[in-house]
Amino acid sequence: MQIHFTNEIENLKTNLIKMASLVDEQVEKAIVSLETGNVDLCKGIKAKDLEIDAYDNLIQTQCENILALFQPVAADLRFIISTMMINNQLERCGDIAVNIAQRVKKTKEYNSLVVESQISEMGKQARQMLKLAIDSFIYGDSQLAENVIKNDEIVDNLNKQAFHFLVSKMQSNPTLIEPAAHLIVLTRHIERLADHATNIAEDLVFYVEAKIISHKKKLQKLSNKGEEDN
Amino acid sequence: MIEQDLISKVVSLEDYSQKKFDTIIKVENLFAYFGELKALDNISLSIPKNSVTAIIGPSGCGKSTFLRCLNKMHQEIGGTTEGKIYYNGIDIENIDPVILRRNIGMVFQKPNPFPTMSIINNVVAGLKYNGVRDKKLLNEIAEICLKKVGLWEEVKDNLNRSGASLSGGQQQRLCIARTLTVNPEVILMDEPTSALDPIATTKIEDLIYELKKDYTIIIVTHNMQQAARVSDYTAFFYMGRLIEFSDTKKIFTNPSNKQTEEYISGRFG
Repeated sequence: MQIHFTNEIENLKTNLIKMASLVDEQVEKAIVSLETGNVDLCKGIKAKDLEIDAYDNLIQTQCENILALFQPVAADLRFIISTMMINNQLERCGDIAVNIAQRVKKTKEYNSLVVESQISEMGKQARQMLKLAIDSFIYGDSQLAENVIKNDEIVDNLNKQAFHFLVSKMQSNPTLIEPAAHLIVLTRHIERLADHATNIAEDLVFYVEAKIISHKKKLQKLSNKGEEDN
Repeated sequence: MIEQDLISKVVSLEDYSQKKFDTIIKVENLFAYFGELKALDNISLSIPKNSVTAIIGPSGCGKSTFLRCLNKMHQEIGGTTEGKIYYNGIDIENIDPVILRRNIGMVFQKPNPFPTMSIINNVVAGLKYNGVRDKKLLNEIAEICLKKVGLWEEVKDNLNRSGASLSGGQQQRLCIARTLTVNPEVILMDEPTSALDPIATTKIEDLIYELKKDYTIIIVTHNMQQAARVSDYTAFFYMGRLIEFSDTKKIFTNPSNKQTEEYISGRFG
Protein backbone atom coordinates (compact mmCIF):
# COMPACT_ATOMS: atom_id res chain seq x y z
CA MET A 1 0.00 0.00 0.00
CA GLN A 2 2.80 2.37 0.94
CA ILE A 3 4.64 1.71 -2.36
CA HIS A 4 1.42 2.26 -4.28
CA PHE A 5 0.84 5.55 -2.45
CA THR A 6 4.44 6.74 -2.98
CA ASN A 7 4.16 5.98 -6.71
CA GLU A 8 0.92 7.97 -6.95
CA ILE A 9 2.53 10.95 -5.20
CA GLU A 10 5.64 10.76 -7.42
CA ASN A 11 3.49 10.58 -10.51
CA LEU A 12 1.49 13.61 -9.37
CA LYS A 13 4.63 15.59 -8.65
CA THR A 14 6.07 14.71 -12.08
CA ASN A 15 2.91 15.95 -13.80
CA LEU A 16 2.94 19.19 -11.83
CA ILE A 17 6.60 19.77 -12.75
CA LYS A 18 5.83 19.09 -16.43
CA MET A 19 2.95 21.54 -16.29
CA ALA A 20 5.11 24.13 -14.50
CA SER A 21 7.85 23.82 -17.17
CA LEU A 22 5.26 24.30 -19.88
CA VAL A 23 3.84 27.39 -18.16
CA ASP A 24 7.36 28.74 -17.65
CA GLU A 25 8.11 28.34 -21.39
CA GLN A 26 4.85 30.02 -22.39
CA VAL A 27 5.42 32.95 -20.02
CA GLU A 28 9.02 33.30 -21.21
CA LYS A 29 7.93 33.50 -24.85
CA ALA A 30 5.25 36.08 -24.03
CA ILE A 31 7.57 38.28 -21.96
CA VAL A 32 10.47 38.13 -24.47
CA SER A 33 8.09 39.02 -27.31
CA LEU A 34 6.89 41.96 -25.20
CA GLU A 35 10.48 43.13 -24.61
CA THR A 36 11.57 42.72 -28.23
CA GLY A 37 8.31 43.29 -30.09
CA ASN A 38 8.97 40.01 -31.88
CA VAL A 39 5.42 38.75 -32.40
CA ASP A 40 6.64 35.57 -34.10
CA LEU A 41 7.48 34.27 -30.65
CA CYS A 42 3.80 34.50 -29.74
CA LYS A 43 2.80 32.02 -32.41
CA GLY A 44 1.52 28.82 -30.92
CA ILE A 45 1.10 30.18 -27.37
CA LYS A 46 -2.68 29.94 -27.52
CA ALA A 47 -2.67 26.41 -28.96
CA LYS A 48 -0.14 25.26 -26.37
CA ASP A 49 -2.33 26.62 -23.58
CA LEU A 50 -4.70 23.72 -24.21
CA GLU A 51 -1.95 21.37 -23.07
CA ILE A 52 -1.73 23.31 -19.79
CA ASP A 53 -5.50 23.04 -19.40
CA ALA A 54 -5.26 19.28 -19.93
CA TYR A 55 -2.62 19.03 -17.17
CA ASP A 56 -4.90 21.11 -14.95
CA ASN A 57 -7.70 18.54 -15.29
CA LEU A 58 -5.34 15.59 -14.97
CA ILE A 59 -3.72 16.90 -11.76
CA GLN A 60 -7.08 17.78 -10.24
CA THR A 61 -8.34 14.25 -10.89
CA GLN A 62 -5.15 12.70 -9.51
CA CYS A 63 -5.48 14.75 -6.31
CA GLU A 64 -9.13 13.77 -5.94
CA ASN A 65 -8.26 10.09 -6.37
CA ILE A 66 -5.42 10.20 -3.85
CA LEU A 67 -7.62 11.94 -1.28
CA ALA A 68 -10.43 9.42 -1.80
CA LEU A 69 -8.29 6.29 -1.88
CA PHE A 70 -5.44 6.96 0.53
CA GLN A 71 -6.74 9.62 2.97
CA PRO A 72 -3.29 11.17 3.40
CA VAL A 73 -2.40 13.06 6.58
CA ALA A 74 0.19 15.58 7.78
CA ALA A 75 2.91 16.40 5.18
CA ASP A 76 1.30 14.11 2.57
CA LEU A 77 -2.02 15.90 2.99
CA ARG A 78 -0.36 19.31 2.79
CA PHE A 79 1.41 18.19 -0.39
CA ILE A 80 -1.92 17.31 -2.03
CA ILE A 81 -3.59 20.53 -0.88
CA SER A 82 -0.68 22.71 -2.05
CA THR A 83 -0.50 20.80 -5.35
CA MET A 84 -4.18 21.55 -5.96
CA MET A 85 -3.63 25.23 -5.23
CA ILE A 86 -0.41 25.49 -7.26
CA ASN A 87 -2.11 23.70 -10.16
CA ASN A 88 -4.79 26.37 -10.13
CA GLN A 89 -2.22 29.19 -10.04
CA LEU A 90 -0.22 27.68 -12.90
CA GLU A 91 -3.30 27.31 -15.08
CA ARG A 92 -4.01 31.01 -14.59
CA CYS A 93 -0.38 31.90 -15.41
CA GLY A 94 -0.88 29.99 -18.67
CA ASP A 95 -3.94 32.12 -19.44
CA ILE A 96 -1.96 35.27 -18.66
CA ALA A 97 0.76 34.22 -21.14
CA VAL A 98 -1.98 33.99 -23.81
CA ASN A 99 -3.37 37.40 -22.82
CA ILE A 100 0.08 39.02 -22.95
CA ALA A 101 0.80 37.44 -26.34
CA GLN A 102 -2.49 38.78 -27.76
CA ARG A 103 -1.82 42.26 -26.39
CA VAL A 104 1.79 42.34 -27.71
CA LYS A 105 0.44 42.10 -31.27
CA LYS A 106 -1.25 45.45 -30.69
CA THR A 107 1.73 47.22 -29.11
CA LYS A 108 4.59 45.87 -31.25
CA GLU A 109 5.14 49.28 -32.89
CA TYR A 110 5.71 50.95 -29.53
CA ASN A 111 8.70 49.10 -28.19
CA SER A 112 10.37 52.27 -26.93
CA LEU A 113 7.30 52.98 -24.80
CA VAL A 114 7.53 49.46 -23.35
CA VAL A 115 11.13 50.07 -22.33
CA GLU A 116 10.65 53.67 -21.09
CA SER A 117 7.62 52.76 -18.96
CA GLN A 118 9.73 49.94 -17.45
CA ILE A 119 7.10 47.39 -18.48
CA SER A 120 9.88 45.24 -19.93
CA GLU A 121 11.66 45.35 -16.56
CA MET A 122 8.41 44.56 -14.78
CA GLY A 123 7.90 41.58 -17.11
CA LYS A 124 11.44 40.32 -16.43
CA GLN A 125 10.89 40.56 -12.68
CA ALA A 126 7.52 38.79 -12.76
CA ARG A 127 8.86 36.03 -14.99
CA GLN A 128 11.85 35.55 -12.67
CA MET A 129 9.48 35.37 -9.69
CA LEU A 130 7.47 32.65 -11.39
CA LYS A 131 10.61 30.72 -12.31
CA LEU A 132 11.92 30.87 -8.73
CA ALA A 133 8.51 29.94 -7.29
CA ILE A 134 8.50 26.85 -9.51
CA ASP A 135 12.09 26.05 -8.43
CA SER A 136 11.08 26.43 -4.79
CA PHE A 137 8.38 23.80 -5.36
CA ILE A 138 10.70 21.42 -7.19
CA TYR A 139 13.36 21.60 -4.45
CA GLY A 140 10.95 22.10 -1.52
CA ASP A 141 12.93 25.25 -0.66
CA SER A 142 10.84 27.51 1.58
CA GLN A 143 13.64 30.10 1.93
CA LEU A 144 13.62 30.59 -1.83
CA ALA A 145 9.81 30.84 -1.72
CA GLU A 146 10.01 33.57 0.91
CA ASN A 147 12.41 35.56 -1.30
CA VAL A 148 9.86 35.31 -4.13
CA ILE A 149 7.17 36.70 -1.83
CA LYS A 150 9.36 39.68 -0.92
CA ASN A 151 9.94 40.49 -4.61
CA ASP A 152 6.23 41.05 -5.21
CA GLU A 153 6.66 44.56 -3.86
CA ILE A 154 9.18 45.38 -6.59
CA VAL A 155 6.65 44.44 -9.28
CA ASP A 156 3.88 46.37 -7.51
CA ASN A 157 6.07 49.49 -7.44
CA LEU A 158 7.04 49.11 -11.10
CA ASN A 159 3.34 48.74 -11.89
CA LYS A 160 2.51 52.04 -10.19
CA GLN A 161 5.39 53.82 -11.94
CA ALA A 162 4.38 52.44 -15.34
CA PHE A 163 0.78 53.50 -14.78
CA HIS A 164 1.76 57.10 -13.95
CA PHE A 165 4.23 57.22 -16.82
CA LEU A 166 1.64 55.98 -19.34
CA VAL A 167 -1.08 58.33 -18.06
CA SER A 168 1.25 61.30 -18.44
CA LYS A 169 2.15 60.13 -21.97
CA MET A 170 -1.53 59.95 -22.88
CA GLN A 171 -2.09 63.45 -21.49
CA SER A 172 0.83 64.92 -23.38
CA ASN A 173 0.29 63.08 -26.65
CA PRO A 174 -3.26 61.95 -27.54
CA THR A 175 -1.97 59.79 -30.42
CA LEU A 176 -0.46 57.53 -27.76
CA ILE A 177 -3.78 56.96 -26.00
CA GLU A 178 -4.56 53.66 -27.72
CA PRO A 179 -1.15 51.98 -27.36
CA ALA A 180 -0.77 53.32 -23.82
CA ALA A 181 -4.19 51.90 -22.91
CA HIS A 182 -3.08 48.51 -24.26
CA LEU A 183 0.10 48.79 -22.23
CA ILE A 184 -1.83 49.59 -19.03
CA VAL A 185 -3.83 46.39 -19.57
CA LEU A 186 -0.50 44.59 -20.09
CA THR A 187 0.87 45.87 -16.79
CA ARG A 188 -2.25 44.50 -15.12
CA HIS A 189 -1.55 41.05 -16.62
CA ILE A 190 2.09 41.17 -15.50
CA GLU A 191 1.13 42.30 -12.03
CA ARG A 192 -1.28 39.32 -11.78
CA LEU A 193 1.52 37.04 -12.96
CA ALA A 194 3.65 38.19 -10.02
CA ASP A 195 0.67 37.68 -7.68
CA HIS A 196 0.26 34.09 -8.89
CA ALA A 197 4.00 33.48 -8.40
CA THR A 198 3.61 34.85 -4.86
CA ASN A 199 0.66 32.53 -4.25
CA ILE A 200 2.66 29.53 -5.48
CA ALA A 201 5.47 30.48 -3.09
CA GLU A 202 2.98 30.80 -0.22
CA ASP A 203 1.52 27.38 -1.07
CA LEU A 204 5.02 25.92 -0.96
CA VAL A 205 5.63 27.43 2.49
CA PHE A 206 2.34 25.84 3.61
CA TYR A 207 3.53 22.46 2.35
CA VAL A 208 7.02 22.60 3.82
CA GLU A 209 6.41 24.48 7.06
CA ALA A 210 2.72 23.84 7.75
CA LYS A 211 2.13 27.58 8.04
CA ILE A 212 -0.55 29.61 6.29
CA ILE A 213 1.26 32.86 5.52
CA SER A 214 -1.09 34.43 2.97
CA HIS A 215 -2.92 37.52 4.31
CA LYS A 216 -1.15 36.95 7.63
CA LYS A 217 0.46 40.41 7.91
CA LYS A 218 -2.75 42.26 7.13
CA LEU A 219 -4.79 40.12 9.54
CA GLN A 220 -2.20 40.49 12.31
CA LYS A 221 -2.31 44.26 11.83
CA LEU A 222 -6.11 44.27 12.07
CA SER A 223 -5.99 41.97 15.10
CA ASN A 224 -3.51 44.25 16.88
CA LYS A 225 -5.63 47.26 16.00
CA GLY A 226 -8.71 45.52 17.44
CA GLU A 227 -6.87 44.82 20.69
CA GLU A 228 -5.80 48.46 20.92
CA ASP A 229 -9.39 49.66 20.29
CA ASN A 230 -10.65 47.40 23.07
CA MET B 1 -16.86 45.97 8.93
CA ILE B 2 -14.79 42.83 9.53
CA GLU B 3 -15.68 40.73 12.56
CA GLN B 4 -12.84 41.11 15.07
CA ASP B 5 -13.63 37.64 16.45
CA LEU B 6 -13.06 36.06 13.06
CA ILE B 7 -9.74 37.88 12.66
CA SER B 8 -8.48 36.78 16.10
CA LYS B 9 -9.59 33.21 15.34
CA VAL B 10 -7.69 33.16 12.05
CA VAL B 11 -4.59 34.77 13.56
CA SER B 12 -4.42 32.14 16.32
CA LEU B 13 -5.45 29.25 14.05
CA GLU B 14 -2.30 27.20 14.42
CA ASP B 15 -1.58 28.04 18.04
CA TYR B 16 -2.70 24.88 19.82
CA SER B 17 -0.65 25.72 22.91
CA GLN B 18 -3.21 28.38 23.85
CA LYS B 19 -5.97 25.79 24.18
CA LYS B 20 -6.90 25.33 27.85
CA PHE B 21 -8.70 22.36 29.37
CA ASP B 22 -9.79 20.99 32.75
CA THR B 23 -7.93 17.84 33.72
CA ILE B 24 -9.92 14.83 34.91
CA ILE B 25 -7.11 12.26 35.03
CA LYS B 26 -3.49 13.16 35.60
CA VAL B 27 -0.80 10.57 35.03
CA GLU B 28 2.67 11.18 36.45
CA ASN B 29 5.76 9.10 35.66
CA LEU B 30 3.79 5.91 35.21
CA PHE B 31 5.64 2.62 34.69
CA ALA B 32 3.76 -0.65 34.17
CA TYR B 33 5.21 -4.15 34.24
CA PHE B 34 4.20 -7.71 33.49
CA GLY B 35 6.71 -9.51 35.69
CA GLU B 36 10.09 -8.32 34.42
CA LEU B 37 8.68 -6.94 31.18
CA LYS B 38 8.28 -3.16 31.11
CA ALA B 39 5.06 -2.35 29.24
CA LEU B 40 4.91 1.37 30.02
CA ASP B 41 7.93 3.58 30.41
CA ASN B 42 7.58 6.83 32.32
CA ILE B 43 4.25 8.10 30.99
CA SER B 44 3.06 11.55 32.05
CA LEU B 45 -0.02 13.20 30.61
CA SER B 46 -3.25 14.92 31.54
CA ILE B 47 -6.59 13.75 30.17
CA PRO B 48 -8.93 16.67 29.36
CA LYS B 49 -12.45 16.54 30.81
CA ASN B 50 -15.53 16.15 28.58
CA SER B 51 -13.54 15.34 25.53
CA VAL B 52 -12.42 12.31 23.58
CA THR B 53 -8.78 11.30 23.85
CA ALA B 54 -7.51 8.69 21.41
CA ILE B 55 -4.55 6.45 22.19
CA ILE B 56 -2.82 5.27 19.04
CA GLY B 57 0.30 3.27 18.31
CA PRO B 58 1.46 -0.05 16.83
CA SER B 59 0.65 -3.39 18.46
CA GLY B 60 2.49 -3.95 21.73
CA CYS B 61 3.15 -0.24 22.32
CA GLY B 62 1.28 -0.23 25.65
CA LYS B 63 -2.01 1.41 24.62
CA SER B 64 -4.31 -1.13 26.27
CA THR B 65 -2.02 -1.48 29.29
CA PHE B 66 -2.22 2.27 29.77
CA LEU B 67 -6.01 2.11 29.59
CA ARG B 68 -6.13 -0.73 32.11
CA CYS B 69 -3.89 1.18 34.52
CA LEU B 70 -6.43 4.00 34.68
CA ASN B 71 -9.04 1.87 36.47
CA LYS B 72 -6.59 -0.50 38.19
CA MET B 73 -7.43 -3.40 35.88
CA HIS B 74 -3.73 -3.88 35.15
CA GLN B 75 -3.11 -5.06 38.70
CA GLU B 76 -6.20 -7.28 38.40
CA ILE B 77 -4.51 -9.29 35.63
CA GLY B 78 -1.25 -9.69 37.51
CA GLY B 79 0.62 -6.56 36.45
CA THR B 80 2.41 -4.04 38.64
CA THR B 81 2.79 -0.27 38.36
CA GLU B 82 4.96 2.58 39.62
CA GLY B 83 4.15 6.27 39.47
CA LYS B 84 0.97 8.18 40.15
CA ILE B 85 -2.48 8.41 38.61
CA TYR B 86 -4.84 11.06 39.93
CA TYR B 87 -8.57 10.96 39.26
CA ASN B 88 -10.13 14.36 39.99
CA GLY B 89 -7.03 15.15 42.03
CA ILE B 90 -7.20 11.98 44.18
CA ASP B 91 -4.49 9.34 43.94
CA ILE B 92 -6.31 6.23 42.63
CA GLU B 93 -4.32 4.09 45.05
CA ASN B 94 -6.55 5.62 47.73
CA ILE B 95 -9.79 4.77 45.90
CA ASP B 96 -11.54 1.41 46.29
CA PRO B 97 -11.29 -0.43 42.92
CA VAL B 98 -15.07 -1.05 42.79
CA ILE B 99 -15.83 2.64 43.33
CA LEU B 100 -13.09 3.64 40.89
CA ARG B 101 -14.51 1.36 38.17
CA ARG B 102 -18.00 2.71 38.79
CA ASN B 103 -16.59 6.16 37.98
CA ILE B 104 -14.25 4.98 35.24
CA GLY B 105 -16.22 2.44 33.18
CA MET B 106 -14.82 0.26 30.45
CA VAL B 107 -15.97 -1.03 27.07
CA PHE B 108 -14.01 -3.85 25.48
CA GLN B 109 -12.98 -4.79 21.96
CA LYS B 110 -15.39 -7.70 21.69
CA PRO B 111 -18.96 -6.99 22.79
CA ASN B 112 -19.49 -9.03 25.94
CA PRO B 113 -23.14 -9.14 26.95
CA PHE B 114 -23.91 -11.72 29.63
CA PRO B 115 -25.13 -14.55 27.40
CA THR B 116 -27.72 -15.99 29.74
CA MET B 117 -29.28 -12.62 30.58
CA SER B 118 -32.06 -10.75 28.76
CA ILE B 119 -31.39 -7.35 27.14
CA ILE B 120 -32.90 -5.48 30.09
CA ASN B 121 -31.03 -7.54 32.68
CA ASN B 122 -27.80 -7.00 30.79
CA VAL B 123 -28.29 -3.24 30.98
CA VAL B 124 -29.07 -3.13 34.70
CA ALA B 125 -26.62 -5.85 35.78
CA GLY B 126 -24.21 -3.27 37.21
CA LEU B 127 -26.95 -1.53 39.17
CA LYS B 128 -28.19 -4.84 40.60
CA TYR B 129 -24.62 -5.72 41.54
CA ASN B 130 -24.48 -2.42 43.39
CA GLY B 131 -27.63 -3.30 45.36
CA VAL B 132 -30.40 -1.51 43.49
CA ARG B 133 -33.59 -3.63 43.73
CA ASP B 134 -36.41 -1.21 42.82
CA LYS B 135 -37.76 -2.69 39.56
CA LYS B 136 -39.44 0.53 38.42
CA LEU B 137 -36.22 2.48 38.95
CA LEU B 138 -34.17 -0.21 37.16
CA ASN B 139 -36.55 -0.09 34.16
CA GLU B 140 -36.43 3.71 34.03
CA ILE B 141 -32.63 3.81 34.11
CA ALA B 142 -32.45 1.04 31.49
CA GLU B 143 -34.70 3.03 29.17
CA ILE B 144 -32.66 6.24 29.65
CA CYS B 145 -29.39 4.44 28.97
CA LEU B 146 -30.72 2.49 25.99
CA LYS B 147 -32.00 5.79 24.56
CA LYS B 148 -28.60 7.41 25.14
CA VAL B 149 -26.90 4.71 23.04
CA GLY B 150 -29.62 4.85 20.37
CA LEU B 151 -30.74 1.25 21.00
CA TRP B 152 -34.13 1.85 22.63
CA GLU B 153 -36.18 2.01 19.43
CA GLU B 154 -34.53 -1.16 18.15
CA VAL B 155 -35.12 -3.28 21.28
CA LYS B 156 -38.00 -1.74 23.24
CA ASP B 157 -40.46 -4.45 22.12
CA ASN B 158 -38.09 -7.32 22.89
CA LEU B 159 -36.45 -6.36 26.15
CA ASN B 160 -36.68 -9.90 27.49
CA ARG B 161 -34.89 -11.42 24.53
CA SER B 162 -31.38 -12.69 25.15
CA GLY B 163 -28.68 -10.03 24.89
CA ALA B 164 -26.63 -12.45 22.82
CA SER B 165 -29.35 -12.47 20.12
CA LEU B 166 -28.48 -8.90 19.08
CA SER B 167 -26.11 -8.08 16.20
CA GLY B 168 -22.46 -7.27 17.01
CA GLY B 169 -23.03 -3.53 16.74
CA GLN B 170 -26.16 -3.69 18.89
CA GLN B 171 -24.34 -5.81 21.46
CA GLN B 172 -21.56 -3.22 21.68
CA ARG B 173 -24.11 -0.43 22.21
CA LEU B 174 -25.78 -2.63 24.83
CA CYS B 175 -22.44 -2.90 26.63
CA ILE B 176 -22.01 0.87 26.49
CA ALA B 177 -25.55 1.28 27.90
CA ARG B 178 -24.60 -1.14 30.70
CA THR B 179 -21.55 1.03 31.46
CA LEU B 180 -23.69 4.18 31.56
CA THR B 181 -26.21 2.85 34.12
CA VAL B 182 -23.83 3.32 37.04
CA ASN B 183 -23.29 6.91 35.92
CA PRO B 184 -19.53 6.96 35.30
CA GLU B 185 -17.58 10.14 34.60
CA VAL B 186 -15.01 8.50 32.37
CA ILE B 187 -15.48 5.71 29.81
CA LEU B 188 -12.48 3.72 28.65
CA MET B 189 -12.94 2.08 25.25
CA ASP B 190 -10.49 -0.55 24.09
CA GLU B 191 -10.85 -0.83 20.30
CA PRO B 192 -14.64 -0.75 20.59
CA THR B 193 -15.31 -1.07 16.86
CA SER B 194 -12.58 -3.42 15.66
CA ALA B 195 -15.06 -6.34 15.55
CA LEU B 196 -17.81 -4.31 13.84
CA ASP B 197 -18.82 -3.58 10.23
CA PRO B 198 -18.64 0.01 8.84
CA ILE B 199 -22.32 0.82 9.58
CA ALA B 200 -22.12 -0.39 13.19
CA THR B 201 -18.79 1.45 13.50
CA THR B 202 -20.40 4.69 12.34
CA LYS B 203 -23.15 4.28 14.94
CA ILE B 204 -20.58 3.82 17.72
CA GLU B 205 -18.58 6.81 16.47
CA ASP B 206 -21.72 8.98 16.40
CA LEU B 207 -22.47 7.75 19.91
CA ILE B 208 -18.97 8.71 21.11
CA TYR B 209 -19.55 12.20 19.67
CA GLU B 210 -22.86 12.48 21.57
CA LEU B 211 -21.49 11.03 24.82
CA LYS B 212 -18.59 13.45 25.15
CA LYS B 213 -21.03 16.20 26.20
CA ASP B 214 -21.58 14.31 29.47
CA TYR B 215 -18.59 11.99 29.75
CA THR B 216 -14.87 11.90 29.24
CA ILE B 217 -13.90 9.19 26.78
CA ILE B 218 -10.51 7.58 26.31
CA ILE B 219 -10.41 5.31 23.29
CA VAL B 220 -7.69 2.94 22.16
CA THR B 221 -7.88 2.42 18.42
CA HIS B 222 -5.85 0.87 15.65
CA ASN B 223 -7.85 2.75 13.11
CA MET B 224 -6.03 6.00 12.46
CA GLN B 225 -8.94 7.58 10.63
CA GLN B 226 -11.21 6.73 13.54
CA ALA B 227 -8.86 8.53 15.93
CA ALA B 228 -8.88 11.52 13.57
CA ARG B 229 -12.68 11.48 13.24
CA VAL B 230 -13.78 11.01 16.84
CA SER B 231 -11.12 12.42 19.12
CA ASP B 232 -10.25 15.90 20.33
CA TYR B 233 -6.83 14.88 21.62
CA THR B 234 -4.49 12.12 20.51
CA ALA B 235 -1.64 10.39 22.31
CA PHE B 236 0.86 8.40 20.26
CA PHE B 237 2.56 5.53 22.10
CA TYR B 238 5.57 3.62 20.82
CA MET B 239 7.41 0.84 22.64
CA GLY B 240 5.84 1.76 25.95
CA ARG B 241 6.69 5.43 25.68
CA LEU B 242 4.46 8.41 25.07
CA ILE B 243 5.94 9.98 21.95
CA GLU B 244 3.49 12.81 21.45
CA PHE B 245 0.27 14.07 22.99
CA SER B 246 -1.55 16.95 21.39
CA ASP B 247 -4.68 18.32 19.81
CA THR B 248 -5.89 15.75 17.26
CA LYS B 249 -5.92 18.40 14.52
CA LYS B 250 -2.25 19.10 15.18
CA ILE B 251 -1.30 15.42 15.32
CA PHE B 252 -2.91 14.71 11.95
CA THR B 253 -1.86 17.89 10.15
CA ASN B 254 1.50 18.85 11.59
CA PRO B 255 2.82 16.52 14.30
CA SER B 256 5.87 17.75 16.18
CA ASN B 257 7.60 14.38 16.27
CA LYS B 258 9.01 12.60 13.22
CA GLN B 259 8.01 9.16 14.56
CA THR B 260 4.42 10.33 14.96
CA GLU B 261 4.40 11.62 11.38
CA GLU B 262 5.80 8.35 10.05
CA TYR B 263 3.28 6.29 12.01
CA ILE B 264 0.15 8.27 11.12
CA SER B 265 1.15 8.40 7.45
CA GLY B 266 1.63 4.61 7.41
CA ARG B 267 5.41 4.59 6.97
CA PHE B 268 6.02 2.30 9.93
CA GLY B 269 4.20 0.29 12.58
